[in-house]
Parts: sequence; structure tokens; C-alpha cells
Amino acid sequence: MKKILITGATGGLALVVADVLKEKYELFGVDPRPLHAGDLFPGKFFQVDYRQRKMADLFRLHSFDAIIHLGRVPIAAKLRKTQRFNLNVLGTRSLLDLALKYKVKSVIVLSTFHVYGAHQHNHLYISEDDPLLASQTFPEIVDAVELDNVSVAFSLRNPEVRTVILRPTNIIGDRIKNQVSTYLRGKLCPVLLGYDPMWQFIHELDMANAILLALEGNKSGMYNVSGEGVIAFSHAIRLVGGAPIAIPSFFSRAILRGLKFAGQYFPKHLVDFFKYPVVISDKAFRKDFGYEPKISTADALSGLKLPD
Amino acid sequence: MLRDLRKKMISSYLSNEEKSKVERALKNLASTGFDPWGVNPDSVKASIAFTSFLYRHYFRVVNSGFENIPTGRCLFVSNHSGQIPIDAMLITTALLLELEPPRLLRGMVEKWAPSLPFISTFFSRCGQVTGDIHNAKSLLERGESLMVFPEGVTGLGKPIFNRYELQSFGTGFVRLAMETKTPIVPVGVIGCEEALPSISKLMPLAKKMGIPYLPVIATGLIPLPTKVTIRYGKPILFEGNPDEPDSEVKKKVELVKDSINAEILMGLKARGEKIFTGVGI
Repeated sequence: MKKILITGATGGLALVVADVLKEKYELFGVDPRPLHAGDLFPGKFFQVDYRQRKMADLFRLHSFDAIIHLGRVPIAAKLRKTQRFNLNVLGTRSLLDLALKYKVKSVIVLSTFHVYGAHQHNHLYISEDDPLLASQTFPEIVDAVELDNVSVAFSLRNPEVRTVILRPTNIIGDRIKNQVSTYLRGKLCPVLLGYDPMWQFIHELDMANAILLALEGNKSGMYNVSGEGVIAFSHAIRLVGGAPIAIPSFFSRAILRGLKFAGQYFPKHLVDFFKYPVVISDKAFRKDFGYEPKISTADALSGLKLPD
Repeated sequence: MLRDLRKKMISSYLSNEEKSKVERALKNLASTGFDPWGVNPDSVKASIAFTSFLYRHYFRVVNSGFENIPTGRCLFVSNHSGQIPIDAMLITTALLLELEPPRLLRGMVEKWAPSLPFISTFFSRCGQVTGDIHNAKSLLERGESLMVFPEGVTGLGKPIFNRYELQSFGTGFVRLAMETKTPIVPVGVIGCEEALPSISKLMPLAKKMGIPYLPVIATGLIPLPTKVTIRYGKPILFEGNPDEPDSEVKKKVELVKDSINAEILMGLKARGEKIFTGVGI
């Protein structure tokens, strides 16, 4: 049985991916955080920082065939900017170095479509060739952009390690606890008055399947991954069961500050995504890996459970 | 509340046949009821309910040359005038309600439009797309038809004294058509040029205000109920290398310009001086 290392193993997506892979592969999970109470990782779990020496020992002991790097610390995590940068960029870098040193055959890196940034000049169907503009208007996201850059540079320099960088759109699902899923589960969802951009979503199972395809395929490079359709943001909120509340955009900063004061951090860079569409094209991923989303966007959204 | 008003408007102004036409014209709809550019059937029906009134009873539009329009994707290229894009609205309405099979024309709007609240959402729901070469290409690749006005704001804002004089054309549309192998349909619109007769663009003041022009309209702010004729000419398909030098592309642009001009001249000759009643066929 091939051995696979999954980083960020305590996260919601990692558990979904692990469930999909557990029959075919021997799984090893690592995460600097402990597993949440009640969660069970289907394989061996180690609580370890990717930059620690213990990490190299895992590579020596188990000689992994592939790495699925899902361990990107989100902006919402209560960490200092430099801490987050170190974990994401230097952590990824040292993980990739280990992969090279211990002859791991393939590495799948989970980036995000946020690296393209929400801009008024965005054209429709952003492809992998388009520039990563996110940090131009929102420097705080630079760690996500750099994580992507580090991985792309690695894949070009070291063709012996097949590296696939996935840039998925908003991942939603019952086990996903990211910012967007949490937002959509709210009963009242603040939106910007007069703006209703188009959004894309991908269901957690389609995303897990995309990772499986990337793992088992033979191409390398960066790939956008999206779900079936595109939907206006306010309709997405209504499909989940919430009610959009329009707020004039000049109040948005004050409200974000208020939220932060109340202990609810909402990343500023997402505000632009409430204004301008960022619609990505996953044509290349479909062609190279035979990907086809199975769950329609309407079903993915209406299936998202609201808390009781 | 707004949703109820919209429903009422759709049901009272549009017949069932017209509603089905809108639905047939929309391609690329996802499970969500939207196409990737943000078009939604209900929004199109609501705006068509409004424009169809202007189309039938106010401007009493007459079309000629529907038989020239090829099936499949096309690039409609037209003269532009009238201070506000009434011509764009009337061509879109004509092709949606009168052409068989119906089609929803996609217009290209200014690049700053997405930053305007409400307007950005309205444009997106009705099929207007930000003017960007990537957008134009991906629309054509998915079988949608585009409407372009190569004169741009220069044509739109021209004063009444220059009516039916085509301003200089951009070259981008010919390269786009060549690259995607899309036929160009030349369109001549007669009647819109007199609807809002401007006697000056007040350029010094407009420049200070940062807007393209500031029309001084002799007849007030409401467009005159001129009779509008839309003439569709024979389609032109350019073959060859889309990357040829500007001097070569300009020759092709002139060809399109000439055939639009021909449609306008034939229309004007047939209509004569009767701008409120004359038909340009």
C-alpha cells in the first residue's frame, strides 16, 4: 500500500480527503494543532510543526510516496502576521525540501483562488496564466500568494517531484469550517448594498475527488478547480437558507472593526470578493486529469446545513 | 417587495410566447439559474418588459434584413449615436423578440462600470459584460453573440450637426472576429441620431468634470419619439492571420465601415425628412 502524508490533518477538508483515500492508501496525518475532540483521523496522526526536526524523521521512517499539503494557516487564525507567514511560506518550503531529499514522487499543494484577487477589471474565466494580484490591494494575504509562488517555483525547478498546485474556488460542505462556509451558515448574512457579484462553489466531496485525481494523474503544474455552476452571491445565501442584509460599502470598515472588537475576525480582503466577481476556469484541470464535478452548485448550497 | 413588482411587470407586459423566447435565447445556464456572466432569465424578462414598450410604442422600430443574420455566433457592428445608448437597447430588444431563433446580444460596457453599485448588478443580470478582450473571446467561444460600437463614446456623444457621419473605428473588433472566425453583421440604425439632438459637447467643462462629454440637448432631457429603422447588412467573414499589421486590419475595418455606411445611406434615402414617421426600408 502506498504511503501518503497529509498536512493540516485536523482540518475539515483533510478529514474528508482522508475518508476518500483510506481504502486505497496508508495515511499519515500531521498538524501543529491537536485533533479536535471527537474527530478521528483514519491513519497515524502526529502533532508536529512542519519545520521541526521530528518532521524529517517521519520522512526517514516511512518513506512517503506522496504528500497532500492542505496545511495552509488561514488569515482568520489568531496568529501574528509574521507567524502566519513563517508557517505558510517557510513551512511549505521545508516540506518541499524534504520531499525532494527523500524522493517523494508527487506533491499536491492546496492553494486558493484568492491569490488572483478581486478586482474591478477582472475578466471572466481567470485561467492559471493570469497574474496573482491579491496582495496588490490586500498585503495581508501575501503569505497565501507566496505559498503558491514557492510551490510553483519548486515544481519548475524539480521536475523529478511531480508537483500539482490546486487553486480551488470556495470549498463548502458540512465538515468544512472555512470562513465562507461559516459565513453562509449564518442566519443573517451582510452583503454590500448594490453589489451582487457572481461566485463559484465546490462541494467538499468534489474537492476531495479532485485531490484524488491530482494524486493519481501524471501531469504537474498549477490548476484551478471549481464546481459546476456560477451563482449570484445573494442567491447563494438564499439557497443555503439565510437572508442577505445589504450594508452600504462605506460602513463595511466600521463593521469589520466592530466584529474584531467582538472577537469575530473577518478578513478584509474578502470584502472585495463581495463586490467584484472572481470566476475561474478549470478547463485545464478537466482536460489533464479528467475532472468532472458530481454535485451541482445548487445542490451543494441547498445541502449546506444551518446550525439548529 | 421589489421581487413582487418585477413579477407583476413581467406578467402584465410580456406574453407567454415572449417569455419562452427569452428562455430559448439563454444558453450556458447552470443548475443555479445563472450563466457565468450573471445573466438570469427573470432579470432579462423584467428589463425586456420595459424596453419592449419603448421599442413598440415609443420608437416604433422597424427591422430589415433579418435574413442576412447567420445562425450561430455573430459580431454585430453598428453605428452609435444619441447621447445615451438607446440604439444598443433597441437592437437587443429586436433580436430577442423578433428574430427566430431569438438571441440575447451581449454588449460590452466601460471598464469602470463594475465599480458602480446597482448599475454593475443590473448590467450583469441583463447580459452586459465588461469590455475586455478575454470576456469577448470567452463569450464567442461559448456561442454567444456580441454587439460592438467601434466608434465608442466619440460616436455616442456627437452633436446633431454630425448625424450619420461615422467617426473613426477601432480595430480590435476585426482582430477579434478573425481570431474566433466569427462573421461580422454590419448594422445601420436610422432614427436614433435625432432622438436627443445635442448642439454641443461642452468639452472644456466635461474635461474638468472628468466625463467623456456633457451634451447640451436642444429639446430637453426626454428623447424625441423618432421612428427607428434597424437595417442588418450582409455578413462579412474575414479569413487569414489575425496577427497581421494594423495597416492590413485597417483595410478590413474600412470594409465594415463602408457596408454600415451603405445601410445608413439606403435607410436615409428611403426615410427622407420624416424623422417621426418615415420608414427607412
